[in-house]
Amino acid sequence: MSANPTPRHPHPSPCRFIAGLVAVLLLLTGCDPSDPSAGKKSPAVPTAAPGGVRTIGVAFETLQTEFWVAGFDKLKSECKARNITMLEAVADGDAARQFDQVKNFIQRGVDGIILVPKDGKTVIPMIRAANAAAIPVVLYNRPADPTDARHTTVAPDNAAITRETVDYLISVAKRTGRKQKAMILLGDLSDVNALGRRDGFEAAVQAAGDAVDVVARVPTDWNQEKALAGVQSAFQAHPDIGLIFTSSDFMFPSIKSVLSSLGKWRKYDQAGHVILGGFDGDATAYQLMTEGYVDATGVQDVYWEAEQAIQAIVDARAGKAVPARIDDRGFAITQENLKQLAPRMWGAKQPLRP
Amino acid sequence: MKGDTTPPTSGGRETRPPAVSFEDIEKGFFGVPVLKRVRFSAQAGRITGLVGENGAGKSTLMNLLGGNLQPDSGQLRVNGSPYAPRGSGDARAAGIAFVHQELNLFPNLSIAENLFLTEFPRAAGGLPWIDRRKLRDRARHLLDQVDLAHDPDTPVERLPPGERQLLEIARALGAQAHLLLLDEPTTSLSVRECARLFDLMHRLRTRGIAMVYISHALGDVLNHCDDLVILRDGEVVGRGPAAEFTQERLVSLMVGRELNQLYPVRTPPPVPADSRPREPLLDVRGITQPGRVRDISFRLAPGEILGVAGLMGAGRSELARILFGLDPHASGEIRVEGRPLEGGPRRRIREGLAFLTEDRRHEGLCLEASVADNLALVTLGQHARTPVRWLDLPGIGTAVARIRDALQVSTRVTDAQPVRTLSGGNQQKVVLGKWLLSEPRILILDEPTRGIDVGARFEIYQWIHRLADRGSGILVISSEIEELIGLCDRILVMRQGELSGEFPRGEFNREQILAAALHTSTS
Amino acid sequence: MNPAVPVPLRRLSADARAAILLPLVLFLLLAAFTPGFATAGNLGNLVVAGLPLLVLATGQTVVLITGGIDLSVTAVIGLTSVLGALVMSGDAGWLRGSPAATPVALAVMLGTGATVGLLNGSCIAWLRMPAFMVTLTTTLFMGGLAVWLAQRQVHAESIYNLPAAFLLLGNRPGLAAGVAIAAAAATHLLLTRTLLGRWFQAVGYNPRTALISGVPVGGTVVTAYVLSGMMASLTSILITARLETGSPSHGRTLLLDVIGAAVIGGTSLFGGKGTVPGTAAGVLFLALLSNGLNQLNLSDFFITMVKGAVILMAALLDVRRNRWARES
Repeated sequence: MSANPTPRHPHPSPCRFIAGLVAVLLLLTGCDPSDPSAGKKSPAVPTAAPGGVRTIGVAFETLQTEFWVAGFDKLKSECKARNITMLEAVADGDAARQFDQVKNFIQRGVDGIILVPKDGKTVIPMIRAANAAAIPVVLYNRPADPTDARHTTVAPDNAAITRETVDYLISVAKRTGRKQKAMILLGDLSDVNALGRRDGFEAAVQAAGDAVDVVARVPTDWNQEKALAGVQSAFQAHPDIGLIFTSSDFMFPSIKSVLSSLGKWRKYDQAGHVILGGFDGDATAYQLMTEGYVDATGVQDVYWEAEQAIQAIVDARAGKAVPARIDDRGFAITQENLKQLAPRMWGAKQPLRP
Repeated sequence: MKGDTTPPTSGGRETRPPAVSFEDIEKGFFGVPVLKRVRFSAQAGRITGLVGENGAGKSTLMNLLGGNLQPDSGQLRVNGSPYAPRGSGDARAAGIAFVHQELNLFPNLSIAENLFLTEFPRAAGGLPWIDRRKLRDRARHLLDQVDLAHDPDTPVERLPPGERQLLEIARALGAQAHLLLLDEPTTSLSVRECARLFDLMHRLRTRGIAMVYISHALGDVLNHCDDLVILRDGEVVGRGPAAEFTQERLVSLMVGRELNQLYPVRTPPPVPADSRPREPLLDVRGITQPGRVRDISFRLAPGEILGVAGLMGAGRSELARILFGLDPHASGEIRVEGRPLEGGPRRRIREGLAFLTEDRRHEGLCLEASVADNLALVTLGQHARTPVRWLDLPGIGTAVARIRDALQVSTRVTDAQPVRTLSGGNQQKVVLGKWLLSEPRILILDEPTRGIDVGARFEIYQWIHRLADRGSGILVISSEIEELIGLCDRILVMRQGELSGEFPRGEFNREQILAAALHTSTS
Repeated sequence: MNPAVPVPLRRLSADARAAILLPLVLFLLLAAFTPGFATAGNLGNLVVAGLPLLVLATGQTVVLITGGIDLSVTAVIGLTSVLGALVMSGDAGWLRGSPAATPVALAVMLGTGATVGLLNGSCIAWLRMPAFMVTLTTTLFMGGLAVWLAQRQVHAESIYNLPAAFLLLGNRPGLAAGVAIAAAAATHLLLTRTLLGRWFQAVGYNPRTALISGVPVGGTVVTAYVLSGMMASLTSILITARLETGSPSHGRTLLLDVIGAAVIGGTSLFGGKGTVPGTAAGVLFLALLSNGLNQLNLSDFFITMVKGAVILMAALLDVRRNRWARES
């Protein structure tokens, strides 16, 4: 079946049909169909010239926020610029589905796989499957748990960027001359990004001594409705909260809705302003900053991360050594440096959804 | 009328074209002809009786008129004009209304709402809300025409079945129908309710409304119809003025052979009352359930056929359901051969009971399941082997084939066919068959021949006799007193939840039984 | 009667067995037009990916036959996965390191599904609550319980480091296929060759007739939900082993596929009718569809839309099938 001499034929060739039956039989006898040699032999799969990269499989866990869409679009345009075919897949939060998508990439003989995993644990068997097929894997923006499976992670240094952002928020708080009550909206704590941001926040608070008092740590599981309810009940318990940090910008609308109803939605230079900070640097955050409501947000350098992810695969294919971890140092954008840094903020170029 | 341009089609008896005429109608399903060149008409101001065994093609004719089916060939005419309906809307527009055996009313809605369901009177100025007052007034007017004295706001569920039937007719009148098709309207009516219905039909006749009356009650058909049409196997085998027919002639035309008797002769003759075995098969003592039945006691001997007469709502079906363990009873005792009977249907079936319910479509059959599956259902357990209750499929197949042959279910019916597609008579044979397979010692039959044609009835009676001859006890509930008289050894009469009379075979008297069923405290 | 649909086609589609032809037709189409589709590796992937759905849809078929519906299956997958992992995980398991960990975990997992099924079935059969309401409510409860348990024990959603013996079910596709196909085959025999199978049908066709004919209706309904719960547990075992992780979010997106596969395979949403081979054909059809469209580089959103449309068509056909059958 590997040497099918006929050119592309509109009818199913008996060879292929038999191949299908054989596949099922092989499967039933316990032969692993993801055996890399099976994929390589197949004539229908384009194989890369040695060292070159022709196709990359990109599997995202979700495309439900602008952040992921921005990264996804950048990967697409970067692939196009480098004349690489990009195969795409979205798992909608289902790890089993993501595994099938990765297997599918492997089967189709891609030269590299870029993954946004569902979580740090379920991705490990996927990486192993790619390792077995000698296909380089890059985890984009979300690292795996410690494992011996070989891969490269391109991700923000969440703790460092958050620390920088929260340091700025605290400096604003100090200027008010009062000890401020603070609140953090936590992410899904099975996500290391969420953990890193929490750690950065706690470190900054620790270092500030008694400048702020953290009175609420609201779990959101990356869910806007949950965030809304959490912020509401926090304000019921502590009506005088003066500083809020959200682990992701996409939860600003929830905060806005609560603050507006309490009459506390004020610009940074107005009296009664609640100090606001976030993380991601999305379009909402950009707009809220230009309007003056948000003080600062930690920006991930999405474009740089996307370029690095593809570069890592190209390097790996070329036989160069690729580090296991590529840190995006990002930056904190604040009311003070907004003008200078906006061109590097991904959210500043995104069309804002009404 | 437009009909002036078309030549009269009915032998020129009247210059006015018939209200409806079938001209060489043919219809088949998957190559099996169901109607063969059917040709007859119904005149305005006359009642045309349409009789035939189940499966003769009556329902198909009605479906053609209602637009649910289209003929393969032939022409339908209404008032002389060609009529090719594509749905119930067309039928309504042509002034055709149906009064069905299964009522098409919404029990939870009021009388007025049911009357005007398709076209509520609008408020003045064509505004899209309902004018409640106009609704009530028009409802009142229609109810007067059918002699119903209820408030139009009464929910339909509070009306007895007979009055619901009248309400259906009122609805047809409200839709300005000039042709009424009455399909077995009397099956769930009491004697008095029937009389009211026939009164109304006679009055409508004088108003020039044409009626097609379908029924198995041949006596009613002969008494109340002007013209008769007899169908057999999709063909018109006889038609003419009702005066030209007798019941015997109707029956022989319908079944295609002479039927000397409506009820089979019982051989050997029933056991005389005094020599019955001392231990009764079934001993019911003082069964009471508030609101249903009160202090019912009777005994059923082996080999005895015991009838239960009474009006609708007299508590007959309720008694049967209590006996079979479907409903509870507050006090009293039921014994089978001296042992107390307890538990639900499953345990009672093991004790040898069987129950053919009055509602065969909703309680007797799984309509979508096959003939074979329905027949096997009760006795499946006998063919299941432990430990996993593995079924002996060939054994089941043999049993099903045996009972099917014995019951003479139509040969056109296959085992795999859904039982829904069978005629009423064949359906009832399937229900009977599944219980016969369990070889019951006590068989409770609730309205076993309702809506069933003459031929199938006779066969069901024969089976009842056969079971009794084998020593089973049979309890037959029926609204037809003639049926009980023809079939039973003894008749109990129920009225308002109590036993109000008992008649041994020698003392059967139609009038006395009816009196026991009807009598209130007036006499 | 709808004259727009020719009679032979109607007769074919009126016969639920025709469903088995569907995946075959789709396979031939895809093989003809999709490069890289009909390769051993791809078809192997496709079958392995379809195994959890096969098991889950088989259980659902039983419930649909009794005229019910079990919406709680995806939550059972999550809860089972977490409980099993909490028993056997080398990080946080109650029996970590013990040789009994895997067998006990398997027993706990199957027991979880059976318990949820018992709860569902009891509410439906004895308390006469509507099936969709009961199973939807248990879905919420089980979903919350699974996350809470995981958070409480390991302060995270996912539990890792499962014993090697358990992971065999994930690493050896042949073993997983064997287990899944055996479960489906056993259910097929149960439905077609045992008393219980006939009771499921009778209850689905008409519970009143079944009761009067001596079928223990309540017990039969409860058994169906227990069976469905256990099949969901088995699905969870397969998924958990494959992903080497216990997580409450496993199986989250499967619900529509499960009911879709059964309906495409000719199982009636009105009860009574349904077969395991039909459902297996439905599973294969969905697997072929998403794999084939994927090979054509269509986006996942598009594939999901096509799937939704196909399932809607199948449900429509189910309604039509009943009507056509009635007319003939």
